[in-house]
Amino acid sequence: MAGRFDYPQAQEIRDAFARHHARYLFLGKSGAILLGYPDTTQDADLFVEKSADNGEAVVKALIDLGFALTATEIGEIKRGKDFVQLKNGPFDLDLIFAPDGIETFAEAWAHHVEVDGFPVCHPDDIVASKEAANRVKDRESLPRLKKFLEYWKQHR
Amino acid sequence: MKNEQNPNDQIPNLDEAQEKEWIAEFEASMRRPLAVRMKYSFIKTYKPVLDDATYRSFETMAKYREWCEKNLPSWLGYGRTL
Repeated sequence: MAGRFDYPQAQEIRDAFARHHARYLFLGKSGAILLGYPDTTQDADLFVEKSADNGEAVVKALIDLGFALTATEIGEIKRGKDFVQLKNGPFDLDLIFAPDGIETFAEAWAHHVEVDGFPVCHPDDIVASKEAANRVKDRESLPRLKKFLEYWKQHR
Repeated sequence: MKNEQNPNDQIPNLDEAQEKEWIAEFEASMRRPLAVRMKYSFIKTYKPVLDDATYRSFETMAKYREWCEKNLPSWLGYGRTL
């Protein structure tokens, strides 16, 4: 089992994805934490643009980061299967090509937020995706997350 | 704590003490450098089933949700009901 995700690894993602011009956004609770939301989570969630060029770039970045991908896995990431869960690298990573509650990557990118060079989904999108997913753990965390969203908008 | 659902925005009507506590937590978090926030926010514990494969992929999010409902222990919270 990989160790916990940390700041230097987030920097490695940022740098490797930038090196290969891969388009992505931090999403989910990991994205909210980058924005300042105080809570705990285990995995980093990346909303990845679904296109042939970007799939190719993402695979190159993942290999740079040390993920051990088989030929089949490489093919699936390049193709952009909606959800890919990676636990075969230095940290756990979820790639989401079609998150619930967000129409397109282009729309999410248009109003994303940069935090120390990390591209992060706007908190409206983070909340929207959690509302659409509607899992037990999302419903438990949404009231506090929505309150943070209000706070963040007032203080940004 | 009062926890009546507000039909307009689905944010529970918080009592004043709860709201103040959350705001204090938000303020404290925003004062911390990002590296410190991440140090305290990302944790690692074993999640049964979920952590037992090194790679999974799903054609659609609906298929992923269905897999979570059928295969993960409900207490992990990945399903829509407990």
